[in-house]
Amino acid sequence: MASAAVARGRRGGRVRYYLRLAAVQLRASTVTGLQYRADFLVQGLMSLYWLGWNLLPLLVLYDERATVAGWSFGAALVVMANFVIIRGVLEGAVNPSLGALVEQIRSGAFDYTLLRPADAQFLVSTARFAPWRIVDVLGGVGLLVYAFVRLGQHPSVGQVAAGVGLLVAGLVVMYALWIMIVAMAFWVVKMDNLIYLLGSVFDAARWPASVFRGAWRVVFTFVVPLALMTTYPAQAMLGTLTGGAALACLAGALGLAAVSRLVWRLALRSYTSASS
Amino acid sequence: MTRALRAMPTLVRIGLTEALAYRAEMLVWLLTTTMPLVMLGLWTSVADEAPFRAWATRDFVAYYLVALIVRNLTSNWVAWQMSEEIRTGAVAGRLLRPVHPFAGYLGTHLGAVPLRAVAVAPVMLVVLWSSARAVLVTDPAHLGLVALALVGAWALTFAVFLCLGALAFFLDKSLGIVDVYFGVFAIMSGYLIPLPLLPAWLRATAAWLPFRAMLGDPVAIAIGRVPDAGQAARLVAQQWAWATALLLVAAWMWRRGVRRYEAFGG
Amino acid sequence: MIEVAGLKKHFRVHRRPPGLAAAVRSLWHRQYDTVKAVDDISFTIARGERVGFLGPNGAGKTTTMKVLSGLLHPSAGEVTVAGHRPAARSPAFLEQITLVMGQKQQLMWDLPPSETYALNRAVFGVEPAAARQTLAELTELLGLAGLTDKPTRQLSLGERMKCELAAALLHRPTTLFLDEPTIGLDVAMQVTIRDFIRDYNQRHDATVLLTSHYMDDVVALCPRVIVIDGGRLIHDGDLRALVKTMIPDKLVSFTGAVAPEEVARLGEVIKAEGGRTTVRVPEARLREVVGHLLDRAGADLAVEDPPLEDVMRKLFKDKRAGP
Repeated sequence: MASAAVARGRRGGRVRYYLRLAAVQLRASTVTGLQYRADFLVQGLMSLYWLGWNLLPLLVLYDERATVAGWSFGAALVVMANFVIIRGVLEGAVNPSLGALVEQIRSGAFDYTLLRPADAQFLVSTARFAPWRIVDVLGGVGLLVYAFVRLGQHPSVGQVAAGVGLLVAGLVVMYALWIMIVAMAFWVVKMDNLIYLLGSVFDAARWPASVFRGAWRVVFTFVVPLALMTTYPAQAMLGTLTGGAALACLAGALGLAAVSRLVWRLALRSYTSASS
Repeated sequence: MTRALRAMPTLVRIGLTEALAYRAEMLVWLLTTTMPLVMLGLWTSVADEAPFRAWATRDFVAYYLVALIVRNLTSNWVAWQMSEEIRTGAVAGRLLRPVHPFAGYLGTHLGAVPLRAVAVAPVMLVVLWSSARAVLVTDPAHLGLVALALVGAWALTFAVFLCLGALAFFLDKSLGIVDVYFGVFAIMSGYLIPLPLLPAWLRATAAWLPFRAMLGDPVAIAIGRVPDAGQAARLVAQQWAWATALLLVAAWMWRRGVRRYEAFGG
Repeated sequence: MIEVAGLKKHFRVHRRPPGLAAAVRSLWHRQYDTVKAVDDISFTIARGERVGFLGPNGAGKTTTMKVLSGLLHPSAGEVTVAGHRPAARSPAFLEQITLVMGQKQQLMWDLPPSETYALNRAVFGVEPAAARQTLAELTELLGLAGLTDKPTRQLSLGERMKCELAAALLHRPTTLFLDEPTIGLDVAMQVTIRDFIRDYNQRHDATVLLTSHYMDDVVALCPRVIVIDGGRLIHDGDLRALVKTMIPDKLVSFTGAVAPEEVARLGEVIKAEGGRTTVRVPEARLREVVGHLLDRAGADLAVEDPPLEDVMRKLFKDKRAGP
């Protein structure tokens, strides 16, 4: 048999196999990005622009008040910095791929993804990166450092580790929500605006979750768990989060990830039995 | 011109049919205007502790809910539509029709207005039911001016988006400009924060720009922040002047753009 | 290799009626139609066969191809390809097959094809040495030299199709589903693709199922054809036999001065230009006519089968008219 002559190189376990795939796709995106080098400069300027834009309401608010719902200006800046970091990762590593998927489903090119012998969700999630978004992440880190300098605080190694861990959990939550929304693209063809919807709700995560009350708190706890994404990591960094809350946070992130996986598989099944 | 007017009822009817066909997408789009609601949640928490520079909770409720209504009634997506059509070359089809392409766009987006009105009706009910009702204007002069300001805001927004859409003739990534535009608009129109609360230098800049006429001024008139009817009428007159001027700019950009398109073939 | 028994694929589609009033009404009442894209089809294809898959637009060809490659679950029936059930899309199955769609591309638009090759190599787990060897072979057969390092968007349609084929074959599949692989290409490029497909089939004993709007592709490549119309199988067998039963005529063309009334007696005149005349002759009278012409017109005489397009047209018309 001719194909038997070609030795299959799928050795070294699934993890290495998928790491290699991710590396190949990241490389492809970087090569694409390098073709448009001016974007790097534009992206940098845009990051600064939006950073200032995000800070404006904060400046207006804290010009009058010393604290809002118990949050000082410096502490609120930590939340804002986390928001900028998470959004940078999201728009650099998640959004482009899933945006591309919606386009692929519409054009039918998604069929080729399904014909590849690797997990479709993995292929889709790593299909495209926007490497320039690293500028946003760096800007967020800078803001974080500035916030702590302003607060005159020095977070311990443990606080930083807990904060980073919870940030990753926040990203997992965001990614899971994204996957669930994108999965809807298999049922309803035009779904770009749902992505915008989630993005616009996520914008509220730039504020400490405890600022919101009433109906807002319900939405931001159960529909889009904002506190999970930016406020808890900020509290961990500031040393005001209990261990129990941190663990609940991690459990919540894992649970949501599992649910999103389930939704994706259901959606894929419906795609392959209904599309033409 | 007369041909465009004769065709307009048909164009609007087609626009309405399209809007109905894509009602689910449109509803989601309307739901994405969450920013006023988020800001409302934020400011009401702040104002519940104590009024913020003479703005009480009900002022913020009235401001942001009416802003949400104005924004959703007057918005459109013509910039994205034009950019897509120019990029793919579909714009050629419009150039072959014997009416000005703007008439076609106008029909599509006017047709969507009834659906937008239906979608924002619940928000209006919330305003009337809440404590914010007390600050709404009720005298006929102001109500008439609010109506005029809404029409003017629609026309001005449409003209601005036509300009942004026509940019696609000249720039590869014109939609990136639309993002930047939105950032400026959100601050200078009062969409993010009521204009009176902005730092003085931003307030002074906003006074010279058309953006406040797209949102902040109509809202201010509706919630009784411009008690003098003469002053309110001046604001509406300014708004209509801006709308006319920017429509002329859009038409000029379009003409230049088409000439360029014909020369380079897109 | 490919076994299909009683395959059905039905879709339920929402009917969007025209007009404003109807659009408003459909807010409450949604009407659905059932489309029988494929309705009870059975056939078997052996390893190494090249089979043409024919039918008018909307006959169900692409749907069948998608079921065979595992993209669509069948509504009913049994499908086995290379010993696997396609709908499970197991890696072992996907490594055996490939699907090329002339209308859709897998190459990354902004990047050179070589990047897509790198991706597919990683995805299919092809050893670097094996991939190099396959790519060298494909480069030679398809004439890819100099193309794979240019961004895809800068390639012409034909160049892109050649690179698509290479991307689809990098893992050396043994079953090829080719849906309109030559669509939009010029004649020279069609011939290149055609020759390549035949060559690949012979080198690797690969099974090929091909659809094409260009009957020349089918005539040149496929000894056997399967014809479907309206989701049903209407012919499966030898291409020549099909032509013979559908149109038992031959086309005889010749040059030289033969009087018009004499030509008319020979058969129906199909074409007469540039001094060359073509007549349609019933099979039974062929010997007589050729003998007659050899005396008059000289050696420049050719006998051909009627074009497959005519056969298809007649086939579909007959089926529509009949019960």
